[in-house]
Amino acid sequence: MEKASRRRSGGRSGRVASRQASAADQLITFIERKIPYYGVLDDEALELIEANADIVLAEIGIDFKDDPAALALWKTAGADIEGERVRMPKGLCRSLIQATAPAEYTQHARNPQRSTIIGGDRMVLAPAYGSPFVRDLTHGRRYATIEDFRNFVKLTYMSQGLHHSGGTVCEPVDLPVNKRHFDMVYSHIKYSDKPFMGSVTHPERAQDTVDMAKIVFGDSFVDQQAVLTSLINVNSPMTFDSTMLGAARVYAENNQATIISPFILAGAMSPVTITGTLTQILAEALAGMAYTQLVRPGAPVIFGTFASAISMQSGAPTFGTPEPSLVLMGAAALARRLGVPFRSGGGLCASKVADAQAAYEAANTLQSAALAGVNFMLHTAGWLEGGLVMSYEKFMMDTDQANMLGVLLKGVDLSENGQAMDALREIGPGAHFLGAAHTQANFEQAFYRSTIADNNSFEQWEADGALSAEARAHQKWKDLLAAYQAPPLDEAIDEALIDFMDRRKGSFEDQDY
Amino acid sequence: MTDEDDDFDLNELDDAELVEQMHDDLYDGLKDEIVEGTEILLERGWSADRVLNDSLVGGMQIVGVDFRDGILFVPEVLLAANAMKGGMEVLRPLLAETGAKPIGKMVIGTVKGDIHDIGKNLVGMMMEGAGFEVIDIGINNSVDEYIEALEQHQPDILGLSALLTTTMPYMKVVIEELVKRNIRQQYIVMVGGAPLNEEFGQAIGADAYCRDAAEAADLATRLIDERRGLHA
Repeated sequence: MEKASRRRSGGRSGRVASRQASAADQLITFIERKIPYYGVLDDEALELIEANADIVLAEIGIDFKDDPAALALWKTAGADIEGERVRMPKGLCRSLIQATAPAEYTQHARNPQRSTIIGGDRMVLAPAYGSPFVRDLTHGRRYATIEDFRNFVKLTYMSQGLHHSGGTVCEPVDLPVNKRHFDMVYSHIKYSDKPFMGSVTHPERAQDTVDMAKIVFGDSFVDQQAVLTSLINVNSPMTFDSTMLGAARVYAENNQATIISPFILAGAMSPVTITGTLTQILAEALAGMAYTQLVRPGAPVIFGTFASAISMQSGAPTFGTPEPSLVLMGAAALARRLGVPFRSGGGLCASKVADAQAAYEAANTLQSAALAGVNFMLHTAGWLEGGLVMSYEKFMMDTDQANMLGVLLKGVDLSENGQAMDALREIGPGAHFLGAAHTQANFEQAFYRSTIADNNSFEQWEADGALSAEARAHQKWKDLLAAYQAPPLDEAIDEALIDFMDRRKGSFEDQDY
Repeated sequence: MTDEDDDFDLNELDDAELVEQMHDDLYDGLKDEIVEGTEILLERGWSADRVLNDSLVGGMQIVGVDFRDGILFVPEVLLAANAMKGGMEVLRPLLAETGAKPIGKMVIGTVKGDIHDIGKNLVGMMMEGAGFEVIDIGINNSVDEYIEALEQHQPDILGLSALLTTTMPYMKVVIEELVKRNIRQQYIVMVGGAPLNEEFGQAIGADAYCRDAAEAADLATRLIDERRGLHA
């Protein structure tokens, strides 16, 4: 064999250091897609759904509950108002959105190197959102606390495959309902420097979020640039409530991004068919996105889709089944035709523990979402039990999957090196490629190496303690959390944030609603 | 079922056959047939109490078992419960006249700040299926609205529902107000919703946490029996 020219790498210590480089130090702010979108509907089918959605908007209408200001905006825009029911003439929503909503936007992070771009051929991954419970192997299932919240912000910060800090990574139910948003927003700013999401549980809490962002980024910057992307759920079927509308208004007024997400468990909240569900999703998303453009033209807005199904036998939500994957692929195509970023997907599952069911259900949705062309993937990591539980172990398993998606979407290298003709020539028939110069030059990055999977022999696996994936993941999150180092935060900003929170918290009573 | 099977007059059946047919009709969710069967039995001199227990409750018990076992689907149970409700509407005034103990009455509503009602509606459906009178006060209910409904309807059970982590603590607000007004013991308070668990239900002072709609109906029946045993 021809002797490959090699350089000194620092021997053992150098090699160990380079292979254990902290993931948090690597600045990957999104996945850039190099493969085609996977679609299941042709243009004719998508046009049919668009026409049906227009009929829903014009004839059935959408309820905008307890929000006279929203009704007034719609009236001015030319919609027909009957009580709280808004009927939009054919094409109105689409034209409002296409006139001013950006096709993509930068969400700035407090560390500019972590600012990301949402839309186009990119995919940004964020952790799971909204669970009241957490679970880990040691303590089992329990209500989440602010300590758990901080832990998941830290773990997300250190996970290379997650580009975004997310929002309500779990619900800190140990804090009063009307004040917990302060600690959540502060935790995202303090313990991470990735972009994050704001509070949506009350318009005032949305405003507090914006005010805290202004302390970090400055007033005029926040007015011109997106520093928050926040989740506005539709109360499907075909209803927006005043809480969500109020929060959406605050963010749009402040030029901050919102994700308008129909929240569908098909069978209960939408028809049982894929086409019927897609029609309703499109109608709801169009109405919500157009509303943000009425509030402030040009405010970034994402077409969201949270769509799963229920068991028609019990009524319980199901996840990772084929029909929602088809819905997801259809909705992604509809969003692209509209020309706005698309949110869906996640490591969704109904399983109670991080077992085989959790893994395959999550993988089904993660893969479908990646292939379909999701721009912003909420719920990427940690999700268990239909979103009721944020699991430490599942989080680690999902971030491994998230990293794989980055490789998958990179597609196929057709460069001279990718063609590997020199390797084929060098080795020829009958030998092996392990020593080929091309292999020596490429092996380290050639294949994705799972952080969770065990590919060893039975004997080695047994000698290592015969651990399940969940048990291996358990050790991983403990190690990761133990190695956490906070990103630097300007002391004056930190003090100003604490001062702001103290003043606001002191200005009204704790309340459980 | 063939057309031939379907084509007969309920009046031609003897009592035992009719009760059996009503069990089948409940299972198939045939409201008109249940109302008719109920009326026929009354005309034959059955007491309202007996019609209720033998034909309706007996039939719904079969529905409940098959729902639990995954043979019947939610939309089918919905129809069965609706048929049951039809029969109950005929019986309820008669039961009141005779002084027979009604199965029970429930006021149910989603708490303030929360407009989610699919779960609550499923509970209401199952409760009606079990023969309860259900007064649904809808969504986004303040303490005052609950109290007003309790005063007006005098139910046995108060059901509180919440889907959101930010609204479930309001259940505690409602229960504390009942305690403050010294009327907490007059009602069985049942709570439910995705973010709850047994521990939460106990912590806020509810009588029962119900993990799903079928469980709610079973528990309600049991709790009412216990309470009546207690007060007998």
